[in-house]
Amino acid sequence: MSGFRARARAEIAAGPPAATLSPILRKLVADTRAQLGTASPSDARARAQEARAYAVDHMDELHDQLRESCARNGTGYHRAATAEEAVAIVSRLLGDARRIAKSKSMVAEEVGLTGSLRLQGREVLETDIGEYIVDIEGRGPSHITAPALHLNRARIRELLAGAGADVPDDDPVRLSRTVRDVVAEFFADVDAGITGANAVIASSGRIVIVENEGNVSLGVSRPDVHIAITGMEKVVADEEAALAVLQVLAPSATAQPLTAYTHFLGGPEEGKERHLVIVDNGRSEILADERYRDVLRCIRCGACMNACPVYTAAGGLSYGSPYMGPIGAVVSPLLWRDGRHDDLPSASSLCGRCTEVCPVGIPLHRMLLDLRAGDTGNGGSAIERLGWKSWVAAFAGPQGRAASWLARLGLRAGGNLPGLPGSERSLPAATPTRDPAMLIPLDSIEPEPAPEPPAATLPADVVAFFRERAAIVGAIVTDDAGSEDGDRRVRATAAVASTGSVLLTGEDASRAALMDARRIVVEVDEDAIVRFPQDLAPSLAAGGDPLILTGASRTADIEKRIVRGIHGPEALVVVVGGGA
Amino acid sequence: MAKLALFVPCYMAALRPDDGGHARRVLERLGDEVETIVGPCCGQPAFNSGYRAEAKSVGRVLLRAARRHETIVTPSGSCASMVKHYLAGLWAGPRGASIERMAHRFVEFGAYVAAHPNVAALPLRLAGAVTYHDSCHGRRELGLTEGAVGLLEQIEGLDLRRLAYEDECCGFGGAFTVKEPEVSVAMARSKLADVASRGVRVLVSGDLSCLAHLEATARADDQPLETWTLAELLDRALA
Repeated sequence: MSGFRARARAEIAAGPPAATLSPILRKLVADTRAQLGTASPSDARARAQEARAYAVDHMDELHDQLRESCARNGTGYHRAATAEEAVAIVSRLLGDARRIAKSKSMVAEEVGLTGSLRLQGREVLETDIGEYIVDIEGRGPSHITAPALHLNRARIRELLAGAGADVPDDDPVRLSRTVRDVVAEFFADVDAGITGANAVIASSGRIVIVENEGNVSLGVSRPDVHIAITGMEKVVADEEAALAVLQVLAPSATAQPLTAYTHFLGGPEEGKERHLVIVDNGRSEILADERYRDVLRCIRCGACMNACPVYTAAGGLSYGSPYMGPIGAVVSPLLWRDGRHDDLPSASSLCGRCTEVCPVGIPLHRMLLDLRAGDTGNGGSAIERLGWKSWVAAFAGPQGRAASWLARLGLRAGGNLPGLPGSERSLPAATPTRDPAMLIPLDSIEPEPAPEPPAATLPADVVAFFRERAAIVGAIVTDDAGSEDGDRRVRATAAVASTGSVLLTGEDASRAALMDARRIVVEVDEDAIVRFPQDLAPSLAAGGDPLILTGASRTADIEKRIVRGIHGPEALVVVVGGGA
Repeated sequence: MAKLALFVPCYMAALRPDDGGHARRVLERLGDEVETIVGPCCGQPAFNSGYRAEAKSVGRVLLRAARRHETIVTPSGSCASMVKHYLAGLWAGPRGASIERMAHRFVEFGAYVAAHPNVAALPLRLAGAVTYHDSCHGRRELGLTEGAVGLLEQIEGLDLRRLAYEDECCGFGGAFTVKEPEVSVAMARSKLADVASRGVRVLVSGDLSCLAHLEATARADDQPLETWTLAELLDRALA
């Protein structure tokens, strides 16, 4: 029995993962489709695919450029060939730092960073709410963007109570804020912040990070040292390419137009350090193999697992890898060449839904077929090989043998099919009897119409469009914000109608000042409103650390229920003015 | 009147041979002259399991049988997709190119019927309620949904209740159901819950493989269910 099968069997026996996952993921898939269909330009996926394909095809060249850009802006560029080297580099950069605030990073999971740093006696806190919860649970994340997706609120309450928190009930708002308070307290005294990166920009050396909660905003601004760790493939050519990726990333991941915070981080502030650790760990080998190189286009949105019926039925933990679902089944055996994940390519019914939803056009199910046929990935035993030999003899041999081969197989199994303990599944009758009554509908059951996403049309008036979308993402849109204690008043360099976002640059983008405010009040000139994120590229041309705000901070890490106001101000107030 | 070959794939010949007869009768009612190729395998089970040399040996037998036919109709989206998208890739060079051309002569039964010039004149009538399941290969690799649904909608008296999650896999996946039976059955149950929520007990699909998997699971779970291939439904609607 494969490792996947053993784990999936245990998960299903313990209470089917689909009971929790299915309603959440079905809604997410529908919402993603609507988001990409109505709030994005029609060629959003094509642009993202082009940006990622270019990066994969020019990987070495872009990294040469990135290294130079980092040298210019003062970001340390470090390259780790292996997982061990990545840990060693981060350890060296941390020096004697004791208290480390870590936010979500799949590559950190891949190289085992948190565990290694703790073994060195450092205090590492997972500051993302979902990651904090799965860290307490100790079984690892079950989804790349929603790590605690496998846990329901009752179980999360138990875990938090076990960790000493006072949680009187399992209200997701209360549970989320309980973790928020632990994290906020930790940030009061912290030596270094470790984050992942969603893209790194070759032309400017900027690190792009998306987040909803505000823990990244704190992690990159409070401590004196910020280390971003990411996979070699995350490089993109320029700001335009990064925006093309961002335009599909949040819609595909969480069905948001953009996440609450989108960071573009250039060099460190005066007196501080910023480092970028680029991890290879087998990626060069993937790049050199034309069958699989396009998997390096992946932007880790998780759309493939959201849409995957195998993932839904088995749950993310069944994959036994930091990378789960279809992308995990492709990339895990390629990253770990010791065979530990070679059973994963077979953990797919090859339905192709992953390929269909992938926003960057990775032919995932075809790669699974290639992996099964390759030297790694089919996990076939000697008995299995022998079985296929006899199958060939039956079907390629003289007429009539095929039928007898099938009949023999059927007889040996007694017509029974695998699938249930003490299986009662058996082959259906060869000549079925038909009962006319079966055609009569059971009218006691009222069939529900299939949910159809509303076909929204984009208003031609960009200002009205912006107001509408900003309100949808949770901003307060008003003509008069008034004045309150703790307001941070800023002026947007630009705003995006389709996502309801505002772009802050220069001193206005200071994370430290924004995170300490009670309200962020943003003035937006009508003239500064563009239609889509892709139109922001010219506004990102100047230096500094631009920040895109899309609604106020939030989390959906507990049962995908949205809880607003995590770190940073609970209110984002947008005042649209008549132009400069 | 077109001459064609009806390819009844291995598993249909073994599991429910009457479906080949249903398909044949429908094609004849359209006025076509039908020869049959019964029982070969397209090679998909081995191909999907990573055994490509074995798939090639077996697929060759089918290609040889189909060689002299201009049109080869098969009541399986899965086999049709295997032949059209993957089989030729097992041969290199000019041999591969010539097999590729031949692969285009294969057409899935529902798509063939839906596009047939005589289809509008078929007197299709059947009173009752059914739902429809798309096979993943049929849906995603051949784009068969519209044609099949169009045929169902053409049947007078038929109450077609579409599934809420029509594009979700039933969990069969060939070798997948053998290697990962627990997950495969969990997926089938999810599909069967969708079927039950439509208030119907007859499930129609272009692919018998999906249906056999779902019927076996429904029976084990005591859910009343008949599974009909599209060919059977059309044949009964013509009777």
